Amino acid sequence: MKNKHFRYLKKPELWGIQSTIMVVFSVISLSILLILGVVMYIRFSASARQEIVSGTQKLMEQAGENLEDYLVSMRRVSDSIYYNVIKEKDFSRQLQEIQQGMNLLYGANRENLHSVAVYNEYGSLMAAEPVVLQKEDPNITRQGWYEKAQEEMENMHFSTPHIQNLFDDGALRYYWVISLSRAVELTDNGSSRFGVLLVDMDYSVIERMMRKMNESGSGQHFYLCDSNGQIIYHNRQIQISNGIGNENSVQAARYKDGVYDEYFEGEHRKVIVNTISYTGWKLVGVIPYSSFTSGLFSLRYFFGIFMLFMAMMLVLVNRIVSVRISSPILKLNDTVVGGYEAGEMPEIYIGGSQEIRHLGSSIQTSYEQIDRLMKEIVQEQNERRKSELDALQSQINPHFLYNTLDSIIWMVEDEKNEEAAFMISELARLFRISLSGGRTIITVKDELQHAKSYMNIQKIRYKNSFSVKFDVDSAIYSFCTVKLILQPILENAINYGVAGMEGAGEIQVTGRLADGFVILSVTDNGMGMTGEAASLILTDSSRKPQHGSGVGLINVDSRIRILFGKEYGLTVLSEPDEGTEVSIRIPAVLYTEENRKVLEQGYLPGKEEAAYEG
Amino acid sequence: MRDNKKIFILVESILAVMLILLVVRMFLEKGGESRYQIAVVIQNSDSSQWASFKYGLKMAAEDRNMELSIVSTGGTLTTEEEQELLKAEIARGADAVIVQPVPGQETGEMLRKMDKKIPIMLVVCPASEAEEDAALPVTGPDNYLAGKTLAEELWKDYGKNLEGKAFGILSEDGSSQAVVSREQGLREVLEDRGAEMRWSVSGSFTEEGGNILKSLSKVDFVAALDDRSAVAAGKYSAANDLHGALVYGIGNSTEAAYYLDTDVLQCLVVPDGFQMGYQSLTELTKRLEHQFQRAKSMTVACTVLRREELFTEKNQELLFTMSQ
Repeated sequence: MKNKHFRYLKKPELWGIQSTIMVVFSVISLSILLILGVVMYIRFSASARQEIVSGTQKLMEQAGENLEDYLVSMRRVSDSIYYNVIKEKDFSRQLQEIQQGMNLLYGANRENLHSVAVYNEYGSLMAAEPVVLQKEDPNITRQGWYEKAQEEMENMHFSTPHIQNLFDDGALRYYWVISLSRAVELTDNGSSRFGVLLVDMDYSVIERMMRKMNESGSGQHFYLCDSNGQIIYHNRQIQISNGIGNENSVQAARYKDGVYDEYFEGEHRKVIVNTISYTGWKLVGVIPYSSFTSGLFSLRYFFGIFMLFMAMMLVLVNRIVSVRISSPILKLNDTVVGGYEAGEMPEIYIGGSQEIRHLGSSIQTSYEQIDRLMKEIVQEQNERRKSELDALQSQINPHFLYNTLDSIIWMVEDEKNEEAAFMISELARLFRISLSGGRTIITVKDELQHAKSYMNIQKIRYKNSFSVKFDVDSAIYSFCTVKLILQPILENAINYGVAGMEGAGEIQVTGRLADGFVILSVTDNGMGMTGEAASLILTDSSRKPQHGSGVGLINVDSRIRILFGKEYGLTVLSEPDEGTEVSIRIPAVLYTEENRKVLEQGYLPGKEEAAYEG
Repeated sequence: MRDNKKIFILVESILAVMLILLVVRMFLEKGGESRYQIAVVIQNSDSSQWASFKYGLKMAAEDRNMELSIVSTGGTLTTEEEQELLKAEIARGADAVIVQPVPGQETGEMLRKMDKKIPIMLVVCPASEAEEDAALPVTGPDNYLAGKTLAEELWKDYGKNLEGKAFGILSEDGSSQAVVSREQGLREVLEDRGAEMRWSVSGSFTEEGGNILKSLSKVDFVAALDDRSAVAAGKYSAANDLHGALVYGIGNSTEAAYYLDTDVLQCLVVPDGFQMGYQSLTELTKRLEHQFQRAKSMTVACTVLRREELFTEKNQELLFTMSQ
């Protein structure tokens, strides 16, 4: 099962030096780059987040201070009206002065104020600035700011934003105000009474401050709520009240000043809370985590582009370095491999660094030594072969010469001069062919001539006790053969075949071309031999010849095989009392000077490899 | 050697393609900051009756990150003028338009043609009652229901007995589909309950128009079917030029609310302008962001305002949007 899964995985091929260097360099450098990039990104993004949070905190602190300044100034207005204008004055007798005092303070703070008014314990208007028409039945005592002032008389109270519905200035408009109310002690007609001083602050001042804050942020927003979480300002105030949006203001109102993480409506966000002094209002900054991310988008892209660019550069540099390092080694390798493939002495590349040059020189020297040694071996082999051949050939001459001269002596003694002369002329012809100018390869025709001369001599010697017949296809005359290969076979045929047959012996020499081979056969009708004995003729070199030159068929077979190859040579077929047939099988190679030289060097024309082995 | 070169070129090519893709994406995202631009063409755009509508548009544009362009129109428009303005806005790069259609079938035809080019959202009412005009999405109040609600309030004020009572109808533009529907709703209820319509007048009710009002026959109550006529009716009623007729109106301006606050108007039915602006732009945004999604018609709620409930927390928010 396991093998089934892995059988598709091929064993990886060995990598080249350049690939290895490049891959290793690239992996290491890219890993370092990646780790550095990730670490730097995390570090940068963390510090960017921290930066955003601390920047928001600073902004909120600044805005909180501005808001507090504004609220303090409103409280000062309230204090001034109360302590400097109202407290020591009687409304019945000094209304004019009170009005003037209120007018002065209102005028000085007109930009931040909408109106100031003093009501008595019944909710009746005692004085107001600016002087405009009071709306019909505004129901003062039921208003929130009035009730608060009544409930906690020692404090000043800031309301949430609401429509100012006390006065009608004829502008057909409604104004949003935040009411600062406090319980005051009024003097009316000499008697002290309870009253409420109302300072209606213009909501647009706070709205402007908050809007400015919200415009400065990217992604984050700021809102203001009271201590109960009731929203005073929110940039999506109407959406929140319409249910389109939502805000976690109740929770924020419970937070102390600081930075909090919260999860609200499927969104993680950082909440920064800053309490506004005295009022208990909370200035809340909200930074959704998504805004951190959007802020970091460009940073991410920058890192991505930087990393890709660096990766490209590193791969390029690694490529150049790996090529520089591996190029001399590859060139060296190419020359070595190329030399092997061509089968010639390669020209080894020597270049690059000192070590590679040294390696190249060593290889070059080794090659030269190998080449020289091989040449020496080949030369030695050739010399050895030639000496073997010469030795084999030289074995023939003494035997034959001795026998022939013996016959001539015998003829001369018997005064058979003509026969002796014929024999000497045949011997001369025989030796001419035997010598052949030192050549080993001659034509089949010359070899046959040599055989005929030899047989003529032998026939005289044996007093024509056997007959010889040559039946040779003239087509094979022009092919090459090793010289003196028929003569030893004929000698054997005479000695072991027909020597004692008293005129009935027949030797037939045939020659033909068959399937691209030249086949020369010597057949006798002598006593023959068993198949076993016939098979030993070419294999048992230890046998001592009983007659003849002593040069056996093994000699002939060896010479043919040395020059033409192991697939050629002799075949002996024999039957007792039937006779013996010895066939020579050699390749059909036309006799030319070129072919002769090739054959004598131990090669077959048209074939590269040497015909002999060993 | 050659394989190495191929691999090297392949790796470098892949990295280069990735780099190019990243750069292109970065620029596209930066380009993505350029928001859709939505043009708004409403008649008499500076009128206070549009304050809450414009505030709603602004809030939606901020929420949806859209660029808003409200075309300033001095008064009422003709079909041709509206067409010219729309063409100019489209030429300026508007991706969608919000239109208060000029009444008439030709406007409907013109808008239908334009809708094939860019998304259009009508506000308040369709151009005409023609069936084809219903194909264009409209964000606005249920005008028929608004008229009917006003009549129901009136009926309650009269102790649910309107037998023999006479009433008049005021509107700025009698051909407006909004006014037609509102009148239909109003008259169905009032006439069904025994009240008789004496007159129905349309006009701008400026000083000259005011004289017309003075010359009209006396009625028990006047129903003003749009903001401008409600404000005009309040003004003339305050000046006692309506022969003591009680005034009921449909409107969404602080002026109309003021006349309610000063007891000149008895009841004011207020279509939620903020919602109309917010919803219309939101719906168009959805249409722009999802090409195959058609913008849907949206109905906004109407609030019945009475003097005694004018300053409740909920109604203060309504006044807040009108005061923007």
